[in-house]
Amino acid sequence: MHDSAVGEVLAGLTAAGVSVACYLPDSLFKPLYPAMDAEPGLRTIRVTNEGEGAAICGGVFLSGRRAMLVMENSGLRASVEPLARMGLGAGIPVVMLMSYRGEMGENNWWAVPHGTTMEPVLGALRIPYRVVREEKDIRQSIVDAYELAYSSYYHTAIALGGGIVR
Amino acid sequence: MRRYDCMVELAGRLRDELVVLSLGGSVDEWYTAAPHMRTASLFQQQLGCVTPEAFGLAVGLPHRRVVSLDTDGGLLFNLGILATLGNEQPANLFTVVWDNERYQSIGGPPTHTASGRVDLAAIARGAGVSEAYTARTVEEFAAHCAAGLAATVPYLVVAKVSGEVEPGIKRKHSDGREDKYVFVRHVEESEGIVIMGPSEHN
Repeated sequence: MHDSAVGEVLAGLTAAGVSVACYLPDSLFKPLYPAMDAEPGLRTIRVTNEGEGAAICGGVFLSGRRAMLVMENSGLRASVEPLARMGLGAGIPVVMLMSYRGEMGENNWWAVPHGTTMEPVLGALRIPYRVVREEKDIRQSIVDAYELAYSSYYHTAIALGGGIVR
Repeated sequence: MRRYDCMVELAGRLRDELVVLSLGGSVDEWYTAAPHMRTASLFQQQLGCVTPEAFGLAVGLPHRRVVSLDTDGGLLFNLGILATLGNEQPANLFTVVWDNERYQSIGGPPTHTASGRVDLAAIARGAGVSEAYTARTVEEFAAHCAAGLAATVPYLVVAKVSGEVEPGIKRKHSDGREDKYVFVRHVEESEGIVIMGPSEHN
């Protein structure tokens, strides 16, 4: 992930009014995590699994502040239970930013299932999402994800793939 | 020690706090034991989410005391939150774990704490929540409530309670979606903020 893409993510978070980011670090977003840690006005919270991060983000929503869950797309699978409980059961939204492991170009065998399962899991949970592969689309996609999440009171997701993360 | 008695003790100490609580019998008990806190309590059905949600709320409202009413089954579902609390050290989060050593809402099969070997307070201390204790009497519980509600570090008390549910209590009729709206409107009003505002057009 290039510094320019990291900058676009940070600009998107600022534009969307995000002040809390929960994350479990991964390799494709490697430079993003320290950049978020250093970003003024953004509190980062490292979590032990992505489902815990989803639940923390849900609590932040209830406070009136905006949070984002940042993770590898495998974290989506770890988050399914809290996402279903909060989203389908109560209408508490979580906005997610994921690295797209396992898409075309993947060179790790262990990451292939991440790609196999990501879109079907998003579909099973009826989570609107956008796969972004052009750096110029990052900022607006993050803003759009919050607009829809705060209109539907349901989760939304952005997956960054292609040349953005490779 | 009866959970309902502990709830009455805790409820009498709450005014402006916000509460997040777990599923099962404790929902109706809290609904009855703390009628003045109904709109300030988020009634949810989310095993493993209660303390993380309460922590998120505490992060967003650092000037406000947040109380998490978790359970043995709920905390065991996601012990990682204890390590996160240990690292993040929220100054405004008081966590109560109702430990009745069973999954009460499905008829009472044992949780891992029923063995007598699993000590949730010790796990919490090991995870960095140094103010973590076990209460076995209402008097002990009351003392921890006083300390926990005044603490400036994360404070956790495991309340070892019996498996009985207070008989004859009023059942809560609302679902999680309605409960969320009620809670959010309470936060909006008490904080003077808008969380779920109007659309661009109506």
